[in-house]
Amino acid sequence: MITRLSSEAAGVYRRRPQARPRPAGWMFWGVAAMAALAAFAPYVKAAAPQEVAAQVDAAIEGELKAAGLKPAPLCPDEDYLRRVTFDIAGRPPSPQELLLFLVDPSEDKRSRVVEELLGTEDYALNWARYWRDVLLSHATNERAPAARDAFVDWMARKLRENRPWDEIATELITATGEVREDGATMLIFAQQAEPAEVAAEVARVFLGIQIQCANCHDHPTDSWTRRQFHQLAAFFPRITLRRDPDNPGNFVVASFNMQRRRFPFAQNPERVLIFLDRNRDGKLSKQEVERTPLGRLFDRVLQLGDKDGDGQLSLQELKTLPRPQNNQPGRGALEHYMPDLQHPEQEGTLMTPVFFLDTSVRLRTGTDDLTRRRAVAKAITSPRNEWFAKAFVNRMWAAFTGQGFYVPIDDIGPERTPQHPQALEILAQEFTRSGYDIQWLIRTITATRAYQRQARSPDPSASVGMAAVTPARLRADQIYSALVNVFGLPSGGFPRRRPGARPGRPRSPRDGFSLLFGIDPSTPPEDVMGTIPQALFMMNSPLVNGAIRAFARVRLPQMVREARTRTDVIRDLYLLVLNREPTDRELEIITAYVRQSENRLEAFEDVLWALINSTEFISKR
Amino acid sequence: MSIDRFETLKVGRHGVTRRECLVRSAGAAAAAGLVTWHDVLSAFGQQLKKQGKSFVLLWMAGGPSQFETFDPKPDSPNGGGTKAISTAVPGVRIAEGWDNMASVLGDVALIRSMTNREGSHPRATYQLHTGYLPSGSVKHPALGCALAKEVADLEADLPPAVSIGTSRLTVGAGFLGVAYEPFRVASPGRLPDNTAVPTTPDRARRRLGLLQQLEQEFAARGGRPLVENHRQLYDRASRLMLSPKMRVFQLDDEPQGLRDAYGDSTFGRGCLLARRLVEAGVPYIEVISGGWDTHDNNFERTATLAQQVDPAAATLLKDLKQRGLLEKTVVVWMGEFGRTPRVNPRSGRDHYPRAFSAWIAGGGLRGGLVVGRTSPNGTSVEDRPVTPADLFCTICHAMGVDPRIENLSPLGRPMKIVDGGEPIAELLGSGSTATASS
Repeated sequence: MITRLSSEAAGVYRRRPQARPRPAGWMFWGVAAMAALAAFAPYVKAAAPQEVAAQVDAAIEGELKAAGLKPAPLCPDEDYLRRVTFDIAGRPPSPQELLLFLVDPSEDKRSRVVEELLGTEDYALNWARYWRDVLLSHATNERAPAARDAFVDWMARKLRENRPWDEIATELITATGEVREDGATMLIFAQQAEPAEVAAEVARVFLGIQIQCANCHDHPTDSWTRRQFHQLAAFFPRITLRRDPDNPGNFVVASFNMQRRRFPFAQNPERVLIFLDRNRDGKLSKQEVERTPLGRLFDRVLQLGDKDGDGQLSLQELKTLPRPQNNQPGRGALEHYMPDLQHPEQEGTLMTPVFFLDTSVRLRTGTDDLTRRRAVAKAITSPRNEWFAKAFVNRMWAAFTGQGFYVPIDDIGPERTPQHPQALEILAQEFTRSGYDIQWLIRTITATRAYQRQARSPDPSASVGMAAVTPARLRADQIYSALVNVFGLPSGGFPRRRPGARPGRPRSPRDGFSLLFGIDPSTPPEDVMGTIPQALFMMNSPLVNGAIRAFARVRLPQMVREARTRTDVIRDLYLLVLNREPTDRELEIITAYVRQSENRLEAFEDVLWALINSTEFISKR
Repeated sequence: MSIDRFETLKVGRHGVTRRECLVRSAGAAAAAGLVTWHDVLSAFGQQLKKQGKSFVLLWMAGGPSQFETFDPKPDSPNGGGTKAISTAVPGVRIAEGWDNMASVLGDVALIRSMTNREGSHPRATYQLHTGYLPSGSVKHPALGCALAKEVADLEADLPPAVSIGTSRLTVGAGFLGVAYEPFRVASPGRLPDNTAVPTTPDRARRRLGLLQQLEQEFAARGGRPLVENHRQLYDRASRLMLSPKMRVFQLDDEPQGLRDAYGDSTFGRGCLLARRLVEAGVPYIEVISGGWDTHDNNFERTATLAQQVDPAAATLLKDLKQRGLLEKTVVVWMGEFGRTPRVNPRSGRDHYPRAFSAWIAGGGLRGGLVVGRTSPNGTSVEDRPVTPADLFCTICHAMGVDPRIENLSPLGRPMKIVDGGEPIAELLGSGSTATASS
């Protein structure tokens, strides 16, 4: 649907995706004017990434100057290539790529390599895995990993085709289908289709607003109220999550729209009793109801309603059967009720769907599921809602430079103060103007000097950040790809050990590795701590050590034979593992280490081990 | 769902509204006056009391049937034909197949009135480990991890929490972070994953030395905080793998007779390892027995599981007692819920959180008594309901830890170790009394 007409430096034109068929209830949205506007503006002009990058840099550097801070110089080419290859493609550059890049004299090589990387399958996979981790890290449903593969497939397809972010968000919010087939269902599946949890996650991921604090009490620091939170949840009560009857272990996200009651007979207990109480003792026994519709349910009803425990139901017990509970995870309900905090067992207050950032977006109760979800998706992704673009820009900026405008990246919103607000404003506006073009944003971020600066540890005394890039731990999949790169294995990973393992469990070493090294990508880099099992894995695991040993047997002797000097071997190891030349000091340390050892090959094996286990190997610099 | 709301509400009522929901760091929290409420003196008193205490959780993953374990109903149609046997405690009968437990019941407090509302495995497993229902915004720590934080000596070579056996659903340290994350041992009796040094210890040390030297370059290039974190981690990991205490994970120096008594099963070896870890001063040990989700063939499957769990659990209690460790070790047996009174057409029982059994022993709690009672058909609790929060408070009491100690979640919200509940009063006070109250 999107045709890029031109991607000249002058600007990128792209066609907005056509509006989806409008659901029946759309007239109630109160946003008719806006929808009409969007429909008549099919062409959007995006500014050139280089131009926007220059504006962003001017804004940041202006603030740095005002704060008396001197920005770090631009980083050397070897650091840039490693950084940008990890950031876009989720892997390190190979020694060949690195050497070619270093000798390339052209001035635009930094932006050209971005173009090349964006066209690779690695780009689509890397970011699909990133978003998988974003959603799974906050799953309340422990079965959520069953949808991992389907989600990555789906998301990678979206990224490969460069579908705009609003389309991706809308599909995640309005998804229906089997969780193992239709990856778009993962957000809802991960929250067990529970309205309050889905609402909280949608607000966090797409708006960066942590409104769920208002779940139980009015937000303590922000002005969000409980009512607003539950009005948002009221867009989601009709989602159901059920086991797939044909395929145990699979689940289906669907809409719940029928007026169905759990115990229809409970509506008229007197009649039920007259009909079924054959021995006229005023009570229903299992025998009496055996061949009636109630028979199948009788045990369950007894559990709920047999107050005197006599195994029968009296008229009084029938009358006082508990009402079906609201908001049960995955069960679906016709409407959302805000629980009464003093009386949690009661039904609570009926909520009508209202979008807290634009209260003109409201629906009547009784509206069907997809109309509700499309309405809220439309309101969230509307160009008039600045937080949709800001949340995404802030997240991507942080993922690339190591520092968000807002920290944590998923706690932003009108009541937070960002650093460098002007730069954020420029990026968010232009990202919106680009039609939420993800690749446009990546081109722009990577074109900034702010992204291309040398790395420095964060300066706690600085009043404002972004004078340098902050080094950060790589994500699990990036580290795994780095291992694959070093040991010359195919990019699919190390060979599978257990074929046909159960879904949801790690099926390949890559999956197992990502379970062990996985981090929530929304965590600020300074809060990411390693774990002892991770350290043990890198030091001792048969997987890593087997690879090191094999390398020492096959490739090291080769390298030693082909190299003219010991320094050449060390240099090759550095290019391979850390993607840079060793410094003189490092050459000295290693030369001394090798010289002391009785077995030269063993010593080089130890060097390889140390480089693989170094902080730098698992970090972005 | 309403429980969820209610639980979080209680936190709210105790003053969260005064507090920032999203505080950036513990430092900011301290600055805002949010440090835990108990004063230094009482903390000091607690420190003395809880030295050397351990909590062993025998986790029956899947939800064990109370009818085929500790609350048989031979006279009810719901009993499913399971017979009852007499025990060391006069008047108290448990299900057949649990003869070893019957003989040590004088040291055990049987709770037959556990009651809860959560009937889904993931949610109930989370709740019966952490005391909280799952929520997207915060990962709560398992009770054992929270206790380990209060009790553990962080200078020790061994990790403060160890989980033995495997389960699809595991619960760890949550927001308490890596320091208290259970160290997982899948196959007790063998060294845990990746702790076997692939070279000689000497060469491993040389490699670590080389690594330290080479780290300086990246530290100078802006990576200093990352390098420092990495160094601490590698220190602790290498201390563990090179520690002579790693011997604790191997069982071959235990007498054959004792190993036989524990049983030649993963759970049996797990319980033996648990005792060795208690001796070595590890504060929290979980031993997992899987397969209790008996929707079909309940009777055969439970009997098979009992053959492993019964001797192992009973021997663990005896062994701890003989070594004088039972007084300072709390042992709890439970699963995420019980099973339905009605036997389904596949001879199975389904999930039933409304009335189920658990037991607790050691830690200075009273033994040889039964807490609570279910109705004759087993469908409801008739006397003295015990909620998971009550049980958790009891465990805290036995560990000498105040259950209302608060930890700060990453969003800066204070979370009590246990929210709500009261210790089971009948179990407090010292020694085991052989008075039955069946």
